[in-house]
Amino acid sequence: MPSAATLAGMGKGKTLQLRDGTEWEGAMSIDVRQAPRPGRRDEEVDVLIVGAGPSGSVAAKHLSAAGFSVVSLEQGHFPDRNAYAGRRPEWELVSQKQWHPNPNVRDLPRDYPIETSESDINPLMFAGVGGSTTLYAAHWTPFLPSDFRTRSLDGVGDDWPFTYEDLLPYLDEIEREVGVSGMPGNPAYPPHGSYPTPPLPIGKIGYKAAQGLDKLGWHWWPGTNAIPSVPYNGLNACVRRGTCMTGCPEGAKSTSDITYWPHAIKNGARLVTGARVREIEVNDNGFATGAVYIDANGREHRQRASVIILCANGIGTPRLLLLSRSKRFPDGLANGSGLVGKRLMMHPFSAVLGVYEEDLESWRGPFGQNVDSLQFYETDEKRGFVRGAKWGAFPAGGPLGATAFVGSKVFVGDEANVEESWGENLHRTVERRFGHSVVWGIIGEDLPEESNRVVLDPVLTDSDGIPAPKILYKFSENSQKLLQFHVARCLEATKAAGAIETLVVHQMRDTGWHLLGTCRMGDSSATSVVDQWGRAHDVPNLYIFDGSSFPTSGGVNPTATIMSVALRQTRHLIAERRSQEAA
Amino acid sequence: MIDALQRKTFLAIADVLIPAAEGMPAASQVGVGDEVLDRILSLRDDLREPFVRGIAAAAGKEPQAAVEALNRHDPEALGAIGLVASGAYYMSPRVRALIGYPGQEKRPGNPDEIPEYVANGMLQQVIDRGPIYRPTPK
Ligand SMILES: Cc1cc2nc3c(=O)[nH]c(=O)nc-3n(C[C@H](O)[C@H](O)[C@H](O)COP(=O)(O)OP(=O)(O)OC[C@H]3O[C@@H](n4cnc5c(N)ncnc54)[C@H](O)[C@@H]3O)c2cc1C
Ligand code: SF4
Repeated sequence: MPSAATLAGMGKGKTLQLRDGTEWEGAMSIDVRQAPRPGRRDEEVDVLIVGAGPSGSVAAKHLSAAGFSVVSLEQGHFPDRNAYAGRRPEWELVSQKQWHPNPNVRDLPRDYPIETSESDINPLMFAGVGGSTTLYAAHWTPFLPSDFRTRSLDGVGDDWPFTYEDLLPYLDEIEREVGVSGMPGNPAYPPHGSYPTPPLPIGKIGYKAAQGLDKLGWHWWPGTNAIPSVPYNGLNACVRRGTCMTGCPEGAKSTSDITYWPHAIKNGARLVTGARVREIEVNDNGFATGAVYIDANGREHRQRASVIILCANGIGTPRLLLLSRSKRFPDGLANGSGLVGKRLMMHPFSAVLGVYEEDLESWRGPFGQNVDSLQFYETDEKRGFVRGAKWGAFPAGGPLGATAFVGSKVFVGDEANVEESWGENLHRTVERRFGHSVVWGIIGEDLPEESNRVVLDPVLTDSDGIPAPKILYKFSENSQKLLQFHVARCLEATKAAGAIETLVVHQMRDTGWHLLGTCRMGDSSATSVVDQWGRAHDVPNLYIFDGSSFPTSGGVNPTATIMSVALRQTRHLIAERRSQEAA
Repeated sequence: MIDALQRKTFLAIADVLIPAAEGMPAASQVGVGDEVLDRILSLRDDLREPFVRGIAAAAGKEPQAAVEALNRHDPEALGAIGLVASGAYYMSPRVRALIGYPGQEKRPGNPDEIPEYVANGMLQQVIDRGPIYRPTPK
């Protein structure tokens, strides 16, 4: 082990190492937010965090609260609630472009493009403070006990270094910070205390969805969402506008620009937006020394730090490691195992639309989950595949939503032609479906496979000329069988609820909203990238706190677990500050 | 700028796609060729090029035949014209009133109210069916 200073003095008390901010003068395109305590030029901070989405925000808030000097570099900007289109009549039109979750469709300079010609799923994300949760549906679905033990229980994937029970105290704390709304007592989970805010109304669509499941004796539960039903931690109460997936114009959907950053900034953390990191630098001893980043005017800057935490998501984090090649790390930083970028899991997804006779006001929000079902979540080998899926019931949106889902036109027949889609048939379709539809979204567990991976594209670059990621991803046989089984059951439930028309979109392409597994955690440096605390095996002062570190994907939306894991790792870093080595 | 001729061609095509039928007005009857057209094309700049291309190909042709030709030879252009037309149509207050769509309005719930699924025993049945998770193996 190279000789190294330790960080015994790191984050002592509240005496932060201050900066004067002069470094940023003239760089008008970057927005630096910090409580009024200016810092010194080019100062080395205790912790540098890349990415201000949920995982980076958890780390920034808690590290700054413990007295660490923290700088966060985020390529996107601080969100402006008034820019969200939800209150405007053109909402549906712009949700198919400017607010589409696929960065390749949005085509904005703050996003990086992604080469997807060899991927069955398009990855979805958003660049900005709050990260991809700016557009998320806020379904709050922590991983279940079996998700941490797929190898022991089902002989697939890998067991996690910790259990559901180990993570539970962190989850409880995160739920209080996030302001989750929900109903306690869900029999799909071990007993769990109450949520900080009461459940949101499940609406007529929620009742319709639940009725079908009740007829079949199947599990359902009122949706648990990262959307408070009463004002909470800077958030307003949800008013059910239903435009959650294009940004909440009411400031009611829980995103870290509202729930975390005001606290972190008050604690002295510095948030630099419009700052795209292109490389993590290392010294001759193999320690990370800081990051090189480019502001929105194309000017290059350097930020030095004792510890670096990557929170750039399951694609951005391996991209950055692969970009950070050096003599010492020719295959990319922290890539001794060769696993950086590999085992990408994005959750195969299908949707079932059920149309009903009754008026269900199915444009009403929230566009979180109104009810969910975990009836077929656990493995049953008789089904011919392992693991399972979560179903979440959504409203169907406005009149353009009669044929579209989350900005993509998918609910049209295979043989869609002019006569079928237009003319009198348009009126009939809208009359039949609009306000009368429930969409079940089926999120299937993705098993880790090394062939599904993120690499650097040799040609495509972002707006700063930095190589863009390329995705190589194929639906596995297990995923295909899993989705076929679930779609068949979901159609049964939809029909049991009395649907007069059903449509299925199988293995939908624009559904890579969960980006996991590309820098997996584990005990051995030969078979994992980071240890159970998120620390890179090969670089003792480099950490990964986002979903890249997940050994398996679960079959539920991952943000609750991503944030809980980030808090667990942050607490460990704080507790171990005296033994933390630095360059 | 969309000129008068382009507007006229657009309206004729829009009426093929969205005719007066099933108790609903035709696209041209709710002003889809008015300022809303310019507004949509500025909001969705990406649609402008295929829209203009499609309108140019359709100019002077019988509208139904023009739509069929576009569908065969330039479905992207027809898609753009169709999205502009339907986007404008469903933004029209008259159309919204007819289909019963108030827009994505506020309608807060009452968090203090006991949900009906609790009051009527629906949720109790789910609980009574018992736990369905597999616990962490010892
Ligand atoms: C449309 C959509 C719907 C979703 N719905 C749900 C849901 O209902 N429930 C759920 O649990 N999850 C949902 N998710 C997933 C959820 O958004 C993510 O799990 C979560 O945001 C992950 O947090 P993160 O901090 O790890 O990454 P992100 O939120 O992706 O944040 C990463 C940040 O890093 C920044 N970054 C990346 N590279 C660089 C760089 N080189 N330099 C500087 N900054 C960089 C990015 O700009 C971004 O802001 C959804 C996602 C999408 C896109
Ligand atoms: S439903 Fe609630 S969270 Fe969603 S956009 Fe409306 S107010 Fe915001």
